[in-house]
Amino acid sequence: MNTKWESHDGAIVATVDGRVDGANAHEFQEALEAVIKASESAVILDFEQLSYISSAGLRVVLLAAKELRKQSKQFAVCSLAGSILEVFKISGFDQIIPVHSTQAEAIAAVNA
Amino acid sequence: MSARLSLTVKTQADELARITAAVEDFGEQQDWPPDLVFRVNLALEELGMNIMNHGYDAGLHEFEITLISEDDSLTIEIVDGGRPFDPLHDAKQPDVGAAIEDRPIGGLGVYFVREMMDEMHYKRERGKNHLTLVSRR
Repeated sequence: MNTKWESHDGAIVATVDGRVDGANAHEFQEALEAVIKASESAVILDFEQLSYISSAGLRVVLLAAKELRKQSKQFAVCSLAGSILEVFKISGFDQIIPVHSTQAEAIAAVNA
Repeated sequence: MSARLSLTVKTQADELARITAAVEDFGEQQDWPPDLVFRVNLALEELGMNIMNHGYDAGLHEFEITLISEDDSLTIEIVDGGRPFDPLHDAKQPDVGAAIEDRPIGGLGVYFVREMMDEMHYKRERGKNHLTLVSRR
């Protein structure tokens, strides 16, 4: 798992690649905490390169959603591949976190 | 064609990487679609981590994972000698419709497995949990 991030028009876009599982979820959590701290108005997680996520990884996504809500910052995810989108839907996360098909769409939405 | 993969797993978190690698190799040999590899890895992580984290009071233990790949289905059997745990009845159903503020952290693992597999059977026999999962292809 690797997390890289950059600023896009006030929003931080973090790209997560590889696997997020029970063995590295704590590293993912530390990376997201740094991203949230650095963000001014919004955080977007780009999952295009993410190949696997389990409940341990989704737990971290939910923690981030709660923290951003508390700080009145926006949160969105984008580019979820088939099985990743499926676990997002099964857990109902697509109802509480905006899901966009592309990064450009997500950036436009948080800046709207 | 039927093929079988048996793994003896220790109750320590670094075994997860070994399980994942074995499942990926086996899935490639058996020509599984990528989403089946994902489902099997998810089921083994969620249930395996449960056994590792909650199955025993202390100490290092071993449990057994068997995968049986057939033309039209995949069966997963997990046998552990830890405390009795029936994922069909002993795991709380999460409220997946709750608002962000009300969503509890955690509690999704067993639910994922129930949703992503086609069958789930549990029995406690001779002091062991026997869990069987079936995914039809």
